Amino acid sequence: MTRLPITGIGVIAPGAIANVDRFDTSGLSAHTAALVRDFRAKDFIAPMKMRRMNTLSRYLVAAAKLAIEDSGAALPQNTGVAVGTAFGPVQTSVDYMQEYVEKGASLAPPQLFAESVANAPGSHVAIEWNLRGFNITITQRESSALAAAMYAASQLMKGTVDAALICGVDEVNEMLFSVLDRIGALDDSMHRGMVIGEGSAVLVAGSGTRKPYAWLSGFGIARDTTASISDWGTGYESVVGAMKAAMEDAEIDSVDAVYVSSNGSPRLEALESRALDALFDSRVPRTATKQVFGEYAAGGALQLVAAIRAFEDESLRHVLVNSISAGGGIVCAVVSRDAA
Amino acid sequence: MRKPDPHIRIAVTGAGIVCAIGRDKSEVWQSIVESRDGIEKLTRFPGETFPTDLAAEVKGDLPGERRLSRTDLLAVTAAKEAIEQASERAPLPLERAIVSTGTSTGGLLEGEDYYFRRIVRGRRRAPVSLVLQQPTSGPSDAVARTFQLGGGVVSNATACASAGAAIGMAADYLRARHADVAIAGGSDALCRLTYSGFNVLQAVDPEPCSPFGANRKGITLGEGAGYLVLERWDDAVSRGANILAELCAYGASCDAHHPTAPAEDGRGAEAAMRGALAESRLAPSSIDYVNAHGTGTTLNDSAETRAIIAALGSDVPVSSSKSYFGHTLGASGAVEAVVSILALQHQLAPPTLRLREPAADCTLDYIPDTPRPMAMENMLSNTFGFGGSNVSLLFRRVV
Repeated sequence: MTRLPITGIGVIAPGAIANVDRFDTSGLSAHTAALVRDFRAKDFIAPMKMRRMNTLSRYLVAAAKLAIEDSGAALPQNTGVAVGTAFGPVQTSVDYMQEYVEKGASLAPPQLFAESVANAPGSHVAIEWNLRGFNITITQRESSALAAAMYAASQLMKGTVDAALICGVDEVNEMLFSVLDRIGALDDSMHRGMVIGEGSAVLVAGSGTRKPYAWLSGFGIARDTTASISDWGTGYESVVGAMKAAMEDAEIDSVDAVYVSSNGSPRLEALESRALDALFDSRVPRTATKQVFGEYAAGGALQLVAAIRAFEDESLRHVLVNSISAGGGIVCAVVSRDAA
Repeated sequence: MRKPDPHIRIAVTGAGIVCAIGRDKSEVWQSIVESRDGIEKLTRFPGETFPTDLAAEVKGDLPGERRLSRTDLLAVTAAKEAIEQASERAPLPLERAIVSTGTSTGGLLEGEDYYFRRIVRGRRRAPVSLVLQQPTSGPSDAVARTFQLGGGVVSNATACASAGAAIGMAADYLRARHADVAIAGGSDALCRLTYSGFNVLQAVDPEPCSPFGANRKGITLGEGAGYLVLERWDDAVSRGANILAELCAYGASCDAHHPTAPAEDGRGAEAAMRGALAESRLAPSSIDYVNAHGTGTTLNDSAETRAIIAALGSDVPVSSSKSYFGHTLGASGAVEAVVSILALQHQLAPPTLRLREPAADCTLDYIPDTPRPMAMENMLSNTFGFGGSNVSLLFRRVV
């Protein structure tokens, strides 16, 4: 097998991009985000377990439950879990430090500390379904979820696990929002910056009884050496290299559509457009899903889900998904309609 | 899709380390030979009081860009030593080098400073540069930026198993030819959240940690970084590189048991070691030494002992180098991988310091007090983390 079937999808998606009402944005230049609305964790998680989970863990366990049910079969014990999260549990660290300041270093709640590690959501998923394969969490900003998918695929190809959950999760919180606003990364109009989103998405790969939605068929990875500490660079050749590598890994010459990484940031858009123009002619459609659910939504995994669901259009055979991180990281994936 | 080719051998051609007992391999090994630990009174957070007051800190300033976090600087320091060693005989193809780093907290130390200033000054006046250093992608990005590496960048934030996972992942990507060189390791600096957090979990020993000891009460927190340069064996040979050791295999697993505590039967740790053995096609009896996770907590050391007995038997010598430089958290898998490679090169197993009386549930040979000269061909380096994630790296001596 050289392609990996996706047999289950679970999503806790944000609602439409709208004014933020979760925290105070007064004094900031941006005021909108794609927030998860009307999510009731108790519909997915037992109350005693829910108390131990932060928002990220709740989103991820809920999405995993939906994905596993969707796949139509119980997962084997030897299932791996790969989670991508752009920034991890920032809010939990803030909550812990607030308790640290108010109560002292020896009286902060241990439960918050346990949830302050980025791999806590993935750990809850493993515990909930007794999944004893690898369990890793990748935090590579915008390319986190695709990087997690790449690792999960490598392990399925290698045969160390019989199935894998490819996961993404992220949360919009006041700390992240205000810092991104301060550095000029946000723009409500999505012309001079991005709008951020949140949520969770989980894909079941390699196992399941239902007809696969699609097949993961290739990955490419590279880095733009011109990128600065928290912005995109101008090295479009690196993006071209990663896209080519993904197609070469998939053993294909071209794709029928590209799910782009662009998010409203002018630098990213210029970088990616130049790379796409260098590799594909203008007839290859480009779709920017982040205009719908924002950047970072589910660590980038919602973009992957959108690309997989694109095969409802029966004219598509191969779709390229790009993720390009501020700081220079690039991961590209090819998703295909058929097994071969 | 290419799969990692199990027939491709992985060569370690560079190694770098910085921790409480030294700022490079030479200093670290000298401390190990002299049985000299780096555990002292905590100085990092003056004026703040914690239930315990020991730590294994890296002393003095670290060179590098001013805007980098301490975790980033530790990473760059260790990566520099590793890259320079690998480049001694011939240049590395850096444009095809991937960075794979593990870290637990990244630049959280600087994030805490931002948080405190925000409380005083408000969110519009606190220096945002501090918090830009915070993401756990920071160390990987800093290493990639400093050395102009173009092969990709991945950050692994799997608690204390992060660096072990990062090294294993890098080996797989070399075997699948996604990159030609990997700069793989881990880095973590002490920060308030972890120092306080392990204390509130009552997992810190008020005395210097005593892994596998009858009176062990927990960990000693440390900080540091370790990096390896990994290449496909044939590439390293054709480049004329000096090969330090072979990374034969790794195993990764999850306990699926508890958010912070290991499974008491050691099932996850056992599965990780068995995974490494399976990938390497070696028999359990081929393992000559285990550099244990050996944190000094009651639960870890007994569970790990059970796991080693189940996977390898009762005769294999085991030690915990955390007794020298504490638990370096997300960096531990890499820091201890470098120590493991040094042990293979010198044919000298580091001891478990302060092991006066092994606990009743710790029944293996833990190499007490002083380094032991012994023949070692293959060894395992274990690293386990919160959430039950486990990684075991299998290294082989190169003569």
